[in-house]
Amino acid sequence: METLGIFKDVETATRAVDRLVKAGFSEETITSLTSAPYPDGVIVKTDQRIWFHWISAAGGIFGACAGFLLAAGTAYVYPVQTGDKPIIAYFPTGIVTYELTMLFSMLGAIVGMFVEMKLPPRKERPYDPAIGDGSIGISVSVSPGDQASRAESVLKEAGALRIAREETP
Amino acid sequence: MSEPEHALAAKSAGQLNDEMLSSLRTPTWRWYGLAFFLGAVVAWGTSAFIYQMMTDLSVTGLDRPVMWGIYIANFVFWVGLSHSGTMVSAILRLSQANWRRPILRAAEAMTVFSITVAGLFPIIHLGRNWVVYYFIPYPNQRGLWPNFRSALLWDATAITTYIIGSSLFLYLGMLPDLAVVRDRATGWRKKIYAVLAMGWRGTAREWVVFRKASTLMAALIIPVAVSVHSIVAWDFAVTVIPGWHSTIFPPYFVIGAITSGVAAVITLMIIIRRVFHLEDYLTPLHFDNMGKLLLVICLLWAYAYFVEVQTTWYAHEPIEWEVWSFMAGKYTPFLILMLIGNAVLPIFALCFKKIRRSVRAMLVITVLINISMFIERYLIVVPPLSHKNMPFVWGSYSPSWVELSVTAAAFCGFTLMYVLFAKFFPMVAVTDVRELGVRHSDIRRGRTEVHTISEEE
Amino acid sequence: MEKITSPYKWGMVIDLDRCTGCGACVVACQAENNVAICGKKEIAEGRNMHWLRIERFWVGEYPAVRVRFLPVLCQHCHDAPCEPVCPVYASYHNPDGLNGQVYNRCVGTRYCGNNCPYAVRVFNFHDHEHAWPSPLDNQLSPDITVRSRGVMEKCSFCIQRIRRVKEDARAEGRMIKDGEVQPACVQTCPTEALVFGNISDPQSRVSRLSRSPRRFRLLENLGTHPSIYYLKGGGREHV
Repeated sequence: METLGIFKDVETATRAVDRLVKAGFSEETITSLTSAPYPDGVIVKTDQRIWFHWISAAGGIFGACAGFLLAAGTAYVYPVQTGDKPIIAYFPTGIVTYELTMLFSMLGAIVGMFVEMKLPPRKERPYDPAIGDGSIGISVSVSPGDQASRAESVLKEAGALRIAREETP
Repeated sequence: MSEPEHALAAKSAGQLNDEMLSSLRTPTWRWYGLAFFLGAVVAWGTSAFIYQMMTDLSVTGLDRPVMWGIYIANFVFWVGLSHSGTMVSAILRLSQANWRRPILRAAEAMTVFSITVAGLFPIIHLGRNWVVYYFIPYPNQRGLWPNFRSALLWDATAITTYIIGSSLFLYLGMLPDLAVVRDRATGWRKKIYAVLAMGWRGTAREWVVFRKASTLMAALIIPVAVSVHSIVAWDFAVTVIPGWHSTIFPPYFVIGAITSGVAAVITLMIIIRRVFHLEDYLTPLHFDNMGKLLLVICLLWAYAYFVEVQTTWYAHEPIEWEVWSFMAGKYTPFLILMLIGNAVLPIFALCFKKIRRSVRAMLVITVLINISMFIERYLIVVPPLSHKNMPFVWGSYSPSWVELSVTAAAFCGFTLMYVLFAKFFPMVAVTDVRELGVRHSDIRRGRTEVHTISEEE
Repeated sequence: MEKITSPYKWGMVIDLDRCTGCGACVVACQAENNVAICGKKEIAEGRNMHWLRIERFWVGEYPAVRVRFLPVLCQHCHDAPCEPVCPVYASYHNPDGLNGQVYNRCVGTRYCGNNCPYAVRVFNFHDHEHAWPSPLDNQLSPDITVRSRGVMEKCSFCIQRIRRVKEDARAEGRMIKDGEVQPACVQTCPTEALVFGNISDPQSRVSRLSRSPRRFRLLENLGTHPSIYYLKGGGREHV
C-alpha cells in the first residue's frame, strides 16, 4: 500500500525524502507526486527506461499489414480494370500502407503509454487535490502495519501538511 | 529570454493555475452571445447544405468544365490550416524550444478542429451525399471495394489517420492539465475530468513515460502531417489537367499549409491573449520567435511560387501558359492581393524586430496571410478547370449563395468549436508553463545573477 | 489473376471531310440514350447534357470565312484518365475496350469529369428525372435508365445496342458481323461520316479506315490512346 505525505514546497519535500532514506526506506519505494515535472533526481531518482515504444512498433507492423491488405488485397480479390494501371499498383499501395502504419503506431504509442503507466488504476490510490496547485506529494510504498506507521511518523516529522493513505479494503 | 520567466517566477503555482485556467470560469453573457451568434451562422450554413442536398447541385455555381469550386478550395484551405498544431507543437517540442510552452495547446486544438471541418467538405460537395458510405472499405454484398488507386481514397485514409492522430496528440498533451483541472473542479465537472484524466497523479514515473510518449507522438505526427497535405496535393497533381499536373504541388502545398497554419496560430494567440488576459504568458518574445518562423516559411512559399511560375513562363508550353495568363488576367486583383499578403508584406515586415514584437502588426500580417492563402487555394482549383485542353468547352465559375453560406458556416463552426473547447479545457499548457518555473533559477556567478533554465543533456 | 479478354475492341472513325455539321447525330444520341432536354437556361449556365457535341470553329476573315466541324464524344481511351480517379469504381474499363460508367455506383465526386481532357463527361447538376412529363415519357428508351441527379454520364458507344447484338450473335452461335452494331449517331449520320466497328478485326471497315494516312487522334500527346480516329486532309485546310 502507499502512504502519501503532502508538503508545501520542494525544500520540505526533499528533506522528507532524505529522512525517509535515512530511516531505511529504499529509494525505489519512494516517489514524488507533482503537477509539474521536476528534473530527475531533484526530489527522487527514477528509472528512465521505457518499453511502451515496442507496443507502438507492434502497432506499426499491424498497420502496415492492414494497409497492404486493404490496398493490394482488396484490389486482388475484386479486380476492376481502370485506365492502363495495373490491378495492384505500387504507389497507391505504398501510400495506403504508410498511412495505416502511422495510424496504428500512434494508437500503439498512446495505448502503450497507458499500459506502462498502469492507468486507469484498478484500485483507488492516495491523492490530494492540493498537488494540482503546487504542493508536492511524497509517496512511500510500504507493507501495511508497522512499516506504514513508521513511514507516517517520518513524514510528519519532516513537516507534512497532511497524510493520505490507501483505504484498506 | 528573461522577461516571461521573471514575471512568472514571482507568482505562486496556485496563482499561475488561476490565470492560465481563467478561460474555464463560468461563462458570461458575452460568451453566450458569441456562442449563439456562431451557432446561428452554423445553423444557417447547415440549412443551406440541406437545401442543396434536397434539391440538386444546380444551386451551386458549378458547371462544366468547372466541376470543383469553392468547396474544394475550402477543403484544401482547412487541411492546410490543420498543419498549424503539428508544425508548431511537434517541431518545437522536438527542438526543445522553451518558448513553445504557452502556444502548444492553442495550436494542437486548432489542428483537430480544422481537420474536422476539412473532413466535412468531401461529403458536402458530393452529388449523391447519401451514398458516401460507398467510400468505406467493408465487406459487402455488392462485390466491390473502393478504388484505392484513386487519390480521393488516399485522402480518406490520410484524413482519418490525421484526425485520430491529432486528437490523440491533443489529448496526450492535455493529460496532466486535465488532472490539474480535475483537482480544482467540483460536482459533475469533477467526475468528467476525473474520467478524462485517467487517474493521473503526477508520479515521477508517470512523468518519465509521459515525456517519452510526447516525444514519440511528436515524431510520428510530423510525417503524417506532411503526407496528409501531399495526398491532398496529389488530388490535383495526378490529373492530366494543365496547371494541376505539376510535380511541385506536394511540397508547395505543404509549405503553404505551414504558412497558413503558423499565421493562424499567431492570430489565435493574439485573440486568446486578449480575451483571457494572458499577457504575462504570451509575451512579445513569443510573437518575436513565431514571427521569425513565419518569415522563414513565407520565404519558402514565395520561392515555391516563383519556381512554379518561372518554369511555366520559360518553357511557354501553350496550354500551361494559357491557363496561367487566363488566371492572371481574370483574377488580377486577387492575384496581386495574394502576392502582397503572402510574400511581399510578410517578408519585408517580419525582418524588423519591432514589427514582430508588435501584437497589432502581427495581427494584421497574419490575418492577411490567411486571406491570401484562401485566395491561393481558390486560384489553384478554379482557373485550371476553367481553361482545360479543349477550348470549345472553356467555362467560368462563381460561387453561389449556398456555397458561400457553407463557407461562412465552416469558419464559424471552427470558431465555435474553439470557443467551446476553451470553456471546458485548459487553453494554455498549464503544466508545461509551470515546468519552466520549476527549472528556472537565478544563479550568482561572478558579479551578477545569471538567469538560467536547467535542461538535461 | 487473369485479365478478361474479348475478341471485340470497339472503335470509331469520324471523317471530318464528310461531316456537314448537321447535328443529326446529336439528336439521335439524345433520343436513344434518354439524354435530358436542357433548355436555354441550363445551357447558358454551362450545364448542358449533350453526350456528343459538334464543335464549330470559324476560320478566316470575311469573305473567305470557312467553318470547321468537330464532333466530340467520349473517346473511350485505352488509358483513360477518368477511370483510376473514381473512388468507387463507377468508371471502369470493360474488356471490349469501352469506358463504362455505372450510374448506380456513382457518388458524384466529379473527379472523372475534371480529369477528362476532352471534357466529354456531363454531370446531372439538375434533377432531370422529371424532364419528361407524361406523355413525353413514352419516348424514353427502355434499354437504358434515366439518370438521377448527382450522377455522371457520358457516351457509352450505345452499349445497349452492342449488348443486344451480342446476345443475338451468341444465340446464333456466331461472331458479330462488321456493321451489325450501329450506335445511334453512326446509324443516323446522312453522309456516313461516322463509322463504327471492331478495330481488332483487321478487315472491318473501321480498321481499314483507321489506317488511312489522313488519320489523327485528339490530344494524342496526353497518351490517352483514344479509340476514335479522326480523318482530315485531302484538301486545303486543317482543323
